[in-house]
Amino acid sequence: MAFFDYDWSLIWDNREALINGLWTALSVAIVALVISVVGGLGLAVLRTAPKPFSWIALVYTNIFRGVPALVSVIWVYFGVALLLGIRFTVFQAGVIALSLLYSAFFAEIFRSALAAVPFGHTEAGWALGMRSPQIFLSVNLPQAVKIALPNIGSMFIGMVKDTSTFTVIGLLEVVRVTQNLVATTFQPFVLYTAAAIIYVIAAFAIDLIFRLIEGAYVRPPLGIVGRLLRARQRQLIHRIIDRTKAGSLTTESVRLPN
Amino acid sequence: MRMNQIMEEAQGSSGGGQAPIVQLRGINKSFDKNQVLFDIDLDVQRGQHVVIFGPSGSGKSTVLRSINLLAKPDSGSLKVGGIEYGPGLPSEVGVTRGAGLALRRKVGMVFQQFNLFPHLCALDNVALPLRKVHHLSKQQAREKAAIALRRVGLIDRAAHYPAELSGGQQQRVAIARALALDPEVMLFDEPTSALDPELVGEVLKTIREVAETGMTMVVVTHELGFAKEVGDLNVFMEDGRIVESGPRGFYENCTSDRAKEFLKAVM
Repeated sequence: MAFFDYDWSLIWDNREALINGLWTALSVAIVALVISVVGGLGLAVLRTAPKPFSWIALVYTNIFRGVPALVSVIWVYFGVALLLGIRFTVFQAGVIALSLLYSAFFAEIFRSALAAVPFGHTEAGWALGMRSPQIFLSVNLPQAVKIALPNIGSMFIGMVKDTSTFTVIGLLEVVRVTQNLVATTFQPFVLYTAAAIIYVIAAFAIDLIFRLIEGAYVRPPLGIVGRLLRARQRQLIHRIIDRTKAGSLTTESVRLPN
Repeated sequence: MRMNQIMEEAQGSSGGGQAPIVQLRGINKSFDKNQVLFDIDLDVQRGQHVVIFGPSGSGKSTVLRSINLLAKPDSGSLKVGGIEYGPGLPSEVGVTRGAGLALRRKVGMVFQQFNLFPHLCALDNVALPLRKVHHLSKQQAREKAAIALRRVGLIDRAAHYPAELSGGQQQRVAIARALALDPEVMLFDEPTSALDPELVGEVLKTIREVAETGMTMVVVTHELGFAKEVGDLNVFMEDGRIVESGPRGFYENCTSDRAKEFLKAVM
Protein backbone atom coordinates (compact mmCIF):
# COMPACT_ATOMS: atom_id res chain seq x y z
CA MET A 1 0.00 0.00 0.00
CA ALA A 2 1.30 3.38 -0.89
CA PHE A 3 1.45 6.28 1.52
CA PHE A 4 -1.70 7.88 0.14
CA ASP A 5 -3.77 4.74 0.50
CA TYR A 6 -3.89 5.32 4.24
CA ASP A 7 -6.84 7.29 5.47
CA TRP A 8 -5.02 10.30 6.94
CA SER A 9 -8.26 12.20 7.32
CA LEU A 10 -8.95 9.97 10.33
CA ILE A 11 -6.59 12.13 12.35
CA TRP A 12 -8.55 15.27 11.69
CA ASP A 13 -11.89 13.54 12.10
CA ASN A 14 -10.93 12.21 15.51
CA ARG A 15 -8.99 15.25 16.66
CA GLU A 16 -11.34 15.93 19.52
CA ALA A 17 -10.96 12.47 21.06
CA LEU A 18 -7.16 12.59 20.64
CA ILE A 19 -6.86 16.05 22.17
CA ASN A 20 -9.06 14.97 25.07
CA GLY A 21 -6.65 12.09 25.56
CA LEU A 22 -3.77 14.55 25.68
CA TRP A 23 -5.56 16.69 28.25
CA THR A 24 -6.13 13.66 30.45
CA ALA A 25 -2.47 12.69 30.15
CA LEU A 26 -1.35 16.26 30.91
CA SER A 27 -3.67 16.57 33.90
CA VAL A 28 -2.35 13.38 35.47
CA ALA A 29 1.24 14.42 34.75
CA ILE A 30 0.82 17.97 36.09
CA VAL A 31 -0.74 16.89 39.39
CA ALA A 32 1.96 14.22 39.73
CA LEU A 33 4.64 16.82 38.88
CA VAL A 34 3.58 19.04 41.77
CA ILE A 35 3.52 16.11 44.19
CA SER A 36 6.83 14.69 42.93
CA VAL A 37 8.65 18.03 43.15
CA VAL A 38 7.58 18.43 46.77
CA GLY A 39 8.25 14.76 47.52
CA GLY A 40 11.59 14.78 45.74
CA LEU A 41 12.70 17.88 47.61
CA GLY A 42 11.69 16.25 50.88
CA LEU A 43 13.68 13.14 50.00
CA ALA A 44 16.69 15.24 48.98
CA VAL A 45 16.61 17.01 52.34
CA LEU A 46 16.18 13.65 54.09
CA ARG A 47 19.32 12.45 52.32
CA THR A 48 21.29 15.11 54.21
CA ALA A 49 19.78 14.03 57.58
CA PRO A 50 21.62 11.77 60.07
CA LYS A 51 22.04 8.14 59.17
CA PRO A 52 18.93 6.07 59.77
CA PHE A 53 16.84 8.80 58.10
CA SER A 54 19.16 9.31 55.15
CA TRP A 55 19.04 5.57 54.49
CA ILE A 56 15.25 5.69 54.17
CA ALA A 57 15.64 8.26 51.40
CA LEU A 58 18.43 6.31 49.76
CA VAL A 59 16.50 3.03 49.74
CA TYR A 60 13.31 4.69 48.51
CA THR A 61 15.15 6.47 45.70
CA ASN A 62 16.89 3.35 44.49
CA ILE A 63 13.77 1.19 44.57
CA PHE A 64 11.43 3.58 42.80
CA ARG A 65 13.87 4.70 40.18
CA GLY A 66 13.98 1.07 39.11
CA VAL A 67 10.25 0.34 38.93
CA PRO A 68 8.63 0.77 35.48
CA ALA A 69 5.50 2.95 35.28
CA LEU A 70 3.43 0.04 34.04
CA VAL A 71 4.28 -2.06 37.10
CA SER A 72 3.79 0.89 39.42
CA VAL A 73 0.28 1.66 38.20
CA ILE A 74 -0.85 -1.97 38.25
CA TRP A 75 0.45 -2.23 41.77
CA VAL A 76 -1.31 0.95 42.91
CA TYR A 77 -4.60 0.28 41.11
CA PHE A 78 -5.00 -3.49 41.61
CA GLY A 79 -2.48 -4.31 44.34
CA VAL A 80 -3.62 -1.72 46.85
CA ALA A 81 -7.23 -2.68 46.24
CA LEU A 82 -6.47 -6.35 46.88
CA LEU A 83 -4.28 -5.79 49.92
CA LEU A 84 -5.96 -2.86 51.65
CA GLY A 85 -9.35 -2.73 49.99
CA ILE A 86 -8.74 0.86 48.87
CA ARG A 87 -10.11 1.51 45.39
CA PHE A 88 -8.61 4.47 43.62
CA THR A 89 -10.13 5.99 40.50
CA VAL A 90 -7.97 5.51 37.41
CA PHE A 91 -7.00 9.17 37.57
CA GLN A 92 -5.91 8.91 41.22
CA ALA A 93 -4.05 5.67 40.57
CA GLY A 94 -2.20 7.28 37.66
CA VAL A 95 -1.21 10.30 39.75
CA ILE A 96 -0.03 8.15 42.67
CA ALA A 97 1.91 5.75 40.44
CA LEU A 98 3.72 8.59 38.68
CA SER A 99 4.38 10.49 41.91
CA LEU A 100 5.92 7.44 43.57
CA LEU A 101 8.36 6.99 40.69
CA TYR A 102 9.21 10.57 39.91
CA SER A 103 9.69 11.64 43.53
CA ALA A 104 12.70 9.34 43.40
CA PHE A 105 14.03 10.98 40.23
CA PHE A 106 13.41 14.49 41.55
CA ALA A 107 15.15 13.55 44.80
CA GLU A 108 18.33 12.89 42.81
CA ILE A 109 17.89 16.04 40.73
CA PHE A 110 17.48 18.20 43.84
CA ARG A 111 20.27 16.44 45.69
CA SER A 112 22.77 17.24 42.95
CA ALA A 113 21.38 20.76 42.50
CA LEU A 114 21.70 21.51 46.21
CA ALA A 115 25.22 20.08 46.19
CA ALA A 116 26.09 22.43 43.31
CA VAL A 117 25.41 25.53 45.43
CA PRO A 118 28.79 26.60 46.83
CA PHE A 119 29.18 25.82 50.54
CA GLY A 120 30.60 29.32 50.97
CA HIS A 121 27.08 30.70 50.57
CA THR A 122 25.93 28.68 53.56
CA GLU A 123 28.94 29.89 55.54
CA ALA A 124 28.20 33.47 54.54
CA GLY A 125 24.65 32.99 55.81
CA TRP A 126 25.96 31.67 59.13
CA ALA A 127 28.46 34.51 59.39
CA LEU A 128 25.59 36.96 58.86
CA GLY A 129 23.74 35.43 61.81
CA MET A 130 21.10 33.58 59.81
CA ARG A 131 19.72 30.24 61.00
CA SER A 132 20.28 27.13 58.92
CA PRO A 133 16.60 26.74 57.85
CA GLN A 134 16.56 30.42 56.79
CA ILE A 135 19.72 29.88 54.76
CA PHE A 136 18.23 26.77 53.16
CA LEU A 137 15.02 28.54 52.16
CA SER A 138 16.35 31.90 51.02
CA VAL A 139 19.87 31.09 49.82
CA ASN A 140 20.30 27.43 48.86
CA LEU A 141 16.85 26.49 47.59
CA PRO A 142 16.36 29.36 45.11
CA GLN A 143 19.75 28.59 43.57
CA ALA A 144 19.09 24.85 43.51
CA VAL A 145 15.72 25.31 41.81
CA LYS A 146 17.39 27.30 39.06
CA ILE A 147 19.97 24.56 38.56
CA ALA A 148 17.29 21.84 38.64
CA LEU A 149 14.81 23.48 36.26
CA PRO A 150 16.11 22.10 32.93
CA ASN A 151 16.13 18.58 34.40
CA ILE A 152 12.65 19.02 35.85
CA GLY A 153 11.47 19.98 32.36
CA SER A 154 12.96 16.84 30.79
CA MET A 155 11.50 14.71 33.55
CA PHE A 156 8.07 16.23 32.97
CA ILE A 157 8.18 15.23 29.30
CA GLY A 158 9.00 11.72 30.50
CA MET A 159 6.06 11.82 32.90
CA VAL A 160 3.64 12.72 30.10
CA LYS A 161 4.98 9.84 28.01
CA ASP A 162 4.75 7.42 30.94
CA THR A 163 1.01 8.09 31.19
CA SER A 164 0.75 6.03 27.98
CA THR A 165 1.23 2.88 30.06
CA PHE A 166 -1.87 3.77 32.11
CA THR A 167 -3.95 2.48 29.25
CA VAL A 168 -3.64 -0.81 31.15
CA ILE A 169 -5.96 0.46 33.89
CA GLY A 170 -8.26 2.10 31.35
CA LEU A 171 -7.22 5.75 31.73
CA LEU A 172 -8.50 7.54 28.61
CA GLU A 173 -5.17 9.04 27.68
CA VAL A 174 -3.68 9.33 24.17
CA VAL A 175 -2.76 5.68 23.67
CA ARG A 176 -6.04 4.37 25.07
CA VAL A 177 -7.98 6.72 22.78
CA THR A 178 -5.86 5.55 19.87
CA GLN A 179 -6.46 1.90 20.68
CA ASN A 180 -10.20 2.51 20.80
CA LEU A 181 -10.12 4.26 17.42
CA VAL A 182 -8.00 1.48 15.90
CA ALA A 183 -10.54 -1.08 17.07
CA THR A 184 -13.22 0.54 14.92
CA THR A 185 -11.22 1.87 11.95
CA PHE A 186 -8.44 -0.76 11.52
CA GLN A 187 -5.90 1.99 10.74
CA PRO A 188 -3.21 1.50 13.41
CA PHE A 189 -0.39 3.05 11.39
CA VAL A 190 -2.28 6.30 10.83
CA LEU A 191 -3.62 6.58 14.34
CA TYR A 192 -0.39 5.70 16.18
CA THR A 193 1.40 8.21 13.97
CA ALA A 194 -1.15 10.75 15.16
CA ALA A 195 -0.44 9.75 18.75
CA ALA A 196 3.29 10.18 18.18
CA ILE A 197 2.74 13.62 16.68
CA ILE A 198 0.67 14.64 19.68
CA TYR A 199 3.39 13.55 22.11
CA VAL A 200 6.06 15.42 20.15
CA ILE A 201 3.98 18.60 20.03
CA ALA A 202 3.39 18.31 23.77
CA ALA A 203 7.13 17.86 24.33
CA PHE A 204 7.91 21.00 22.31
CA ALA A 205 5.31 22.99 24.22
CA ILE A 206 6.60 21.80 27.61
CA ASP A 207 10.16 22.61 26.57
CA LEU A 208 9.09 26.12 25.54
CA ILE A 209 7.27 26.72 28.83
CA PHE A 210 10.22 25.53 30.89
CA ARG A 211 12.57 27.74 28.87
CA LEU A 212 10.40 30.72 29.72
CA ILE A 213 10.47 29.82 33.41
CA GLU A 214 14.25 29.27 33.24
CA GLY A 215 14.69 32.66 31.61
CA ALA A 216 12.78 34.30 34.41
CA TYR A 217 14.94 32.46 36.93
CA VAL A 218 18.34 33.31 35.46
CA ARG A 219 20.13 36.25 37.09
CA PRO A 220 20.09 38.72 35.43
CA PRO A 221 16.66 37.61 34.15
CA LEU A 222 16.10 36.82 30.47
CA GLY A 223 12.99 36.46 28.35
CA ILE A 224 9.71 38.34 28.46
CA VAL A 225 8.63 37.26 31.94
CA GLY A 226 12.07 37.88 33.42
CA ARG A 227 12.40 41.31 31.88
CA LEU A 228 8.98 42.38 33.10
CA LEU A 229 9.72 41.24 36.64
CA ARG A 230 13.07 42.97 36.56
CA ALA A 231 11.64 46.25 35.31
CA ARG A 232 9.26 46.29 38.26
CA GLN A 233 12.07 45.52 40.71
CA ARG A 234 14.29 48.23 39.23
CA GLN A 235 11.54 50.76 39.61
CA LEU A 236 11.21 50.01 43.33
CA ILE A 237 14.95 49.98 43.91
CA HIS A 238 15.58 53.19 42.01
CA ARG A 239 13.04 54.94 44.20
CA ILE A 240 15.16 53.92 47.21
CA ILE A 241 18.40 54.90 45.41
CA ASP A 242 17.00 58.35 44.66
CA ARG A 243 15.93 58.88 48.26
CA THR A 244 19.33 57.72 49.51
CA LYS A 245 21.15 60.06 47.16
CA ALA A 246 18.88 62.95 48.07
CA GLY A 247 20.00 62.37 51.65
CA SER A 248 16.54 61.68 53.02
CA LEU A 249 17.72 58.26 54.14
CA THR A 250 20.40 58.36 56.79
CA THR A 251 21.87 55.97 59.29
CA GLU A 252 19.44 57.46 61.78
CA SER A 253 16.32 56.81 59.70
CA VAL A 254 16.58 53.03 59.85
CA ARG A 255 17.74 51.52 63.09
CA LEU A 256 18.12 47.89 63.97
CA PRO A 257 15.77 46.72 66.68
CA ASN A 258 17.80 45.57 69.65
CA MET B 1 26.13 51.53 78.78
CA ARG B 2 27.85 52.30 82.08
CA MET B 3 26.66 48.94 83.35
CA ASN B 4 28.18 47.16 80.34
CA GLN B 5 31.50 48.82 80.90
CA ILE B 6 31.57 47.78 84.51
CA MET B 7 30.69 44.21 83.56
CA GLU B 8 33.32 44.08 80.84
CA GLU B 9 35.97 45.47 83.13
CA ALA B 10 34.99 42.94 85.74
CA GLN B 11 35.18 40.08 83.25
CA GLY B 12 38.32 41.17 81.42
CA SER B 13 41.35 39.26 82.53
CA SER B 14 44.05 41.39 80.88
CA GLY B 15 45.52 43.53 83.57
CA GLY B 16 46.14 46.80 81.71
CA GLY B 17 43.07 49.05 81.41
CA GLN B 18 40.23 48.15 79.04
CA ALA B 19 39.09 44.58 78.49
CA PRO B 20 39.71 43.27 74.98
CA ILE B 21 36.61 42.91 72.84
CA VAL B 22 37.94 39.65 71.43
CA GLN B 23 40.07 37.40 73.58
CA LEU B 24 41.48 34.04 72.53
CA ARG B 25 43.18 31.86 75.14
CA GLY B 26 44.78 28.50 74.41
CA ILE B 27 42.76 27.82 71.26
CA ASN B 28 43.47 24.41 69.72
CA LYS B 29 41.89 23.11 66.57
CA SER B 30 42.27 19.92 64.53
CA PHE B 31 40.74 18.77 61.29
CA ASP B 32 40.54 15.00 61.64
CA LYS B 33 44.01 14.04 62.90
CA ASN B 34 45.70 17.13 61.54
CA GLN B 35 46.17 19.79 64.22
CA VAL B 36 46.08 23.24 62.63
CA LEU B 37 46.09 25.54 65.68
CA PHE B 38 48.26 25.20 68.78
CA ASP B 39 47.48 27.22 71.91
CA ILE B 40 46.57 30.45 70.20
CA ASP B 41 46.38 33.52 72.47
CA LEU B 42 45.17 36.79 70.98
CA ASP B 43 43.72 40.01 72.38
CA VAL B 44 41.88 42.45 70.19
CA GLN B 45 41.10 45.80 71.80
CA ARG B 46 38.04 47.81 70.86
CA GLY B 47 38.83 49.92 67.79
CA GLN B 48 42.08 48.06 67.15
CA HIS B 49 43.10 46.84 63.68
CA VAL B 50 44.78 43.48 63.88
CA VAL B 51 46.60 42.03 60.88
CA ILE B 52 47.41 38.32 60.71
CA PHE B 53 49.95 37.23 58.10
CA GLY B 54 52.18 34.29 57.33
CA PRO B 55 52.72 31.53 54.79
CA SER B 56 49.75 29.58 53.43
CA GLY B 57 48.65 26.73 55.63
CA SER B 58 49.87 28.54 58.74
CA GLY B 59 46.38 28.66 60.28
CA LYS B 60 45.66 32.37 59.76
CA SER B 61 42.22 31.81 58.30
CA THR B 62 41.38 29.21 60.92
CA VAL B 63 42.14 31.69 63.70
CA LEU B 64 39.86 34.19 62.00
CA ARG B 65 37.13 31.63 61.43
CA SER B 66 37.29 30.51 65.03
CA ILE B 67 36.38 34.04 66.13
CA ASN B 68 32.86 33.65 64.65
CA LEU B 69 32.79 29.87 65.20
CA LEU B 70 32.83 28.95 61.52
CA ALA B 71 35.68 26.80 62.79
CA LYS B 72 34.77 25.61 66.28
CA PRO B 73 37.80 25.41 68.60
CA ASP B 74 38.42 21.98 70.13
CA SER B 75 39.61 23.56 73.33
CA GLY B 76 40.41 26.98 74.72
CA SER B 77 38.54 30.14 75.47
CA LEU B 78 36.96 32.49 72.96
CA LYS B 79 35.48 35.57 74.58
CA VAL B 80 33.78 38.32 72.63
CA GLY B 81 32.52 41.27 74.63
CA GLY B 82 33.37 39.35 77.81
CA ILE B 83 31.08 36.43 76.98
CA GLU B 84 32.49 32.93 76.53
CA TYR B 85 31.64 31.30 73.18
CA GLY B 86 34.32 28.62 73.07
CA PRO B 87 34.76 25.39 75.05
CA GLY B 88 36.22 27.54 77.84
CA LEU B 89 39.19 27.10 80.12
CA PRO B 90 39.25 24.44 82.85
CA SER B 91 40.28 27.14 85.32
CA GLU B 92 37.20 29.22 84.56
CA VAL B 93 33.95 27.52 85.40
CA GLY B 94 30.59 29.22 85.62
CA VAL B 95 31.33 32.09 83.21
CA THR B 96 28.51 33.55 81.11
CA ARG B 97 28.16 31.42 78.00
CA GLY B 98 26.72 32.69 74.75
CA ALA B 99 25.18 30.98 71.72
CA GLY B 100 26.91 30.95 68.34
CA LEU B 101 23.95 32.71 66.77
CA ALA B 102 24.29 35.64 69.17
CA LEU B 103 28.05 35.79 68.53
CA ARG B 104 27.63 35.95 64.77
CA ARG B 105 25.22 38.84 65.14
CA LYS B 106 28.05 40.85 66.75
CA VAL B 107 30.81 39.77 64.37
CA GLY B 108 30.79 40.54 60.62
CA MET B 109 32.87 38.61 58.13
CA VAL B 110 34.13 39.22 54.61
CA PHE B 111 35.31 36.21 52.61
CA GLN B 112 38.01 35.71 50.02
CA GLN B 113 35.38 34.44 47.56
CA PHE B 114 32.90 37.28 48.35
CA ASN B 115 30.07 34.71 48.72
CA LEU B 116 27.39 37.06 47.48
CA PHE B 117 24.09 35.33 46.81
CA PRO B 118 23.95 35.25 42.98
CA HIS B 119 20.14 35.11 42.80
CA LEU B 120 19.72 38.45 44.58
CA CYS B 121 20.62 41.93 43.37
CA ALA B 122 23.23 43.91 45.30
CA LEU B 123 20.61 45.71 47.38
CA ASP B 124 18.80 42.50 48.34
CA ASN B 125 22.08 40.77 49.16
CA VAL B 126 22.55 43.41 51.83
CA ALA B 127 18.88 43.48 52.79
CA LEU B 128 18.35 39.70 53.19
CA PRO B 129 20.09 39.26 56.57
CA LEU B 130 18.45 42.46 57.84
CA ARG B 131 15.08 40.86 57.15
CA LYS B 132 15.93 37.38 58.39
CA VAL B 133 18.07 38.27 61.40
CA HIS B 134 16.61 41.57 62.53
CA HIS B 135 13.10 41.05 61.14
CA LEU B 136 12.95 44.39 59.35
CA SER B 137 10.22 44.75 56.72
CA LYS B 138 11.31 44.41 53.10
CA GLN B 139 11.14 48.18 52.60
CA GLN B 140 13.00 49.02 55.82
CA ALA B 141 15.66 46.42 55.08
CA ARG B 142 16.19 47.81 51.59
CA GLU B 143 16.48 51.35 52.94
CA LYS B 144 19.06 50.31 55.50
CA ALA B 145 20.84 48.31 52.79
CA ALA B 146 20.88 51.37 50.52
CA ILE B 147 22.66 53.36 53.21
CA ALA B 148 25.29 50.61 53.52
CA LEU B 149 25.77 50.51 49.74
CA ARG B 150 26.20 54.26 49.65
CA ARG B 151 28.87 53.90 52.31
CA VAL B 152 30.93 51.64 50.02
CA GLY B 153 30.22 53.86 47.00
CA LEU B 154 27.98 51.39 45.16
CA ILE B 155 24.52 52.89 45.54
CA ASP B 156 24.28 53.20 41.74
CA ARG B 157 24.80 49.44 41.41
CA ALA B 158 22.01 48.55 43.85
CA ALA B 159 19.80 46.88 41.22
CA HIS B 160 22.67 44.95 39.62
CA TYR B 161 23.13 41.24 40.18
CA PRO B 162 26.51 39.89 41.32
CA ALA B 163 27.13 38.52 37.80
CA GLU B 164 26.89 42.11 36.52
CA LEU B 165 29.48 43.46 38.97
CA SER B 166 33.27 43.32 38.86
CA GLY B 167 35.09 41.30 41.50
CA GLY B 168 36.04 44.46 43.35
CA GLN B 169 32.46 45.70 43.33
CA GLN B 170 31.21 42.31 44.53
CA GLN B 171 33.62 42.41 47.44
CA ARG B 172 32.52 45.93 48.32
CA VAL B 173 28.89 44.76 48.33
CA ALA B 174 29.97 41.93 50.64
CA ILE B 175 31.58 44.50 52.94
CA ALA B 176 28.38 46.56 52.90
CA ARG B 177 26.36 43.41 53.69
CA ALA B 178 28.44 42.78 56.81
CA LEU B 179 28.48 46.45 57.85
CA ALA B 180 24.71 46.86 57.52
CA LEU B 181 24.27 44.56 60.52
CA ASP B 182 26.16 47.05 62.72
CA PRO B 183 28.79 44.54 63.88
CA GLU B 184 31.13 45.26 66.77
CA VAL B 185 33.99 43.43 65.07
CA MET B 186 34.73 42.88 61.38
CA LEU B 187 36.73 39.90 60.15
CA PHE B 188 38.38 40.02 56.73
CA ASP B 189 39.60 36.69 55.35
CA GLU B 190 42.06 37.47 52.55
CA PRO B 191 39.58 39.96 51.07
CA THR B 192 41.68 40.78 48.00
CA SER B 193 43.25 37.40 47.19
CA ALA B 194 40.62 36.41 44.62
CA LEU B 195 40.77 39.75 42.79
CA ASP B 196 42.50 40.80 39.60
CA PRO B 197 45.42 43.08 40.54
CA GLU B 198 43.77 46.21 39.15
CA LEU B 199 40.73 45.68 41.41
CA VAL B 200 42.62 45.28 44.66
CA GLY B 201 42.96 49.03 45.20
CA GLU B 202 39.26 49.85 45.38
CA VAL B 203 38.63 47.09 47.93
CA LEU B 204 41.56 48.15 50.11
CA LYS B 205 40.31 51.72 49.91
CA THR B 206 36.89 50.60 51.19
CA ILE B 207 38.46 48.58 54.01
CA ARG B 208 40.65 51.56 54.91
CA GLU B 209 37.54 53.73 55.12
CA VAL B 210 35.91 51.20 57.42
CA ALA B 211 39.06 51.23 59.56
CA GLU B 212 38.92 55.02 59.78
CA THR B 213 35.47 54.85 61.36
CA GLY B 214 37.09 53.17 64.36
CA MET B 215 35.69 49.72 63.59
CA THR B 216 37.45 46.87 65.36
CA MET B 217 38.97 44.70 62.63
CA VAL B 218 40.90 41.49 62.25
CA VAL B 219 42.39 41.14 58.77
CA VAL B 220 44.11 38.13 57.26
CA THR B 221 46.00 39.40 54.25
CA HIS B 222 48.92 38.94 51.90
CA GLU B 223 48.88 42.66 51.08
CA LEU B 224 51.72 43.59 53.38
CA GLY B 225 51.83 47.18 52.20
CA PHE B 226 48.27 47.55 53.36
CA ALA B 227 49.02 45.61 56.55
CA LYS B 228 51.83 48.00 57.39
CA GLU B 229 49.50 50.92 56.93
CA VAL B 230 46.48 49.76 58.99
CA GLY B 231 47.96 47.23 61.43
CA ASP B 232 47.90 48.40 65.05
CA LEU B 233 48.76 44.86 66.05
CA ASN B 234 50.58 42.59 63.63
CA VAL B 235 50.61 38.85 64.11
CA PHE B 236 52.96 36.50 62.25
CA MET B 237 51.83 32.87 62.16
CA GLU B 238 53.50 29.69 61.01
CA ASP B 239 52.55 26.02 61.39
CA GLY B 240 49.52 26.77 63.50
CA ARG B 241 51.36 28.91 66.03
CA ILE B 242 51.76 32.61 66.60
CA VAL B 243 55.49 33.08 66.12
CA GLU B 244 55.68 36.76 66.90
CA SER B 245 53.45 39.78 67.14
CA GLY B 246 53.99 43.46 67.59
CA PRO B 247 52.64 47.00 67.23
CA ARG B 248 53.18 49.46 64.37
CA GLY B 249 56.66 49.26 62.95
CA PHE B 250 56.59 45.47 63.33
CA TYR B 251 57.59 44.91 59.73
CA GLU B 252 60.86 46.75 60.30
CA ASN B 253 61.46 45.73 63.91
CA CYS B 254 60.46 42.07 64.15
CA THR B 255 63.06 39.92 65.84
CA SER B 256 62.30 36.25 65.03
CA ASP B 257 64.27 34.72 62.17
CA ARG B 258 61.19 33.18 60.59
CA ALA B 259 59.26 36.46 60.47
CA LYS B 260 62.29 38.24 59.04
CA GLU B 261 62.78 35.51 56.43
CA PHE B 262 59.14 35.59 55.45
CA LEU B 263 59.07 39.37 55.15
CA LYS B 264 62.27 39.33 53.12
CA ALA B 265 60.78 36.76 50.75
CA VAL B 266 57.50 38.59 50.13
CA MET B 267 58.40 42.27 50.35
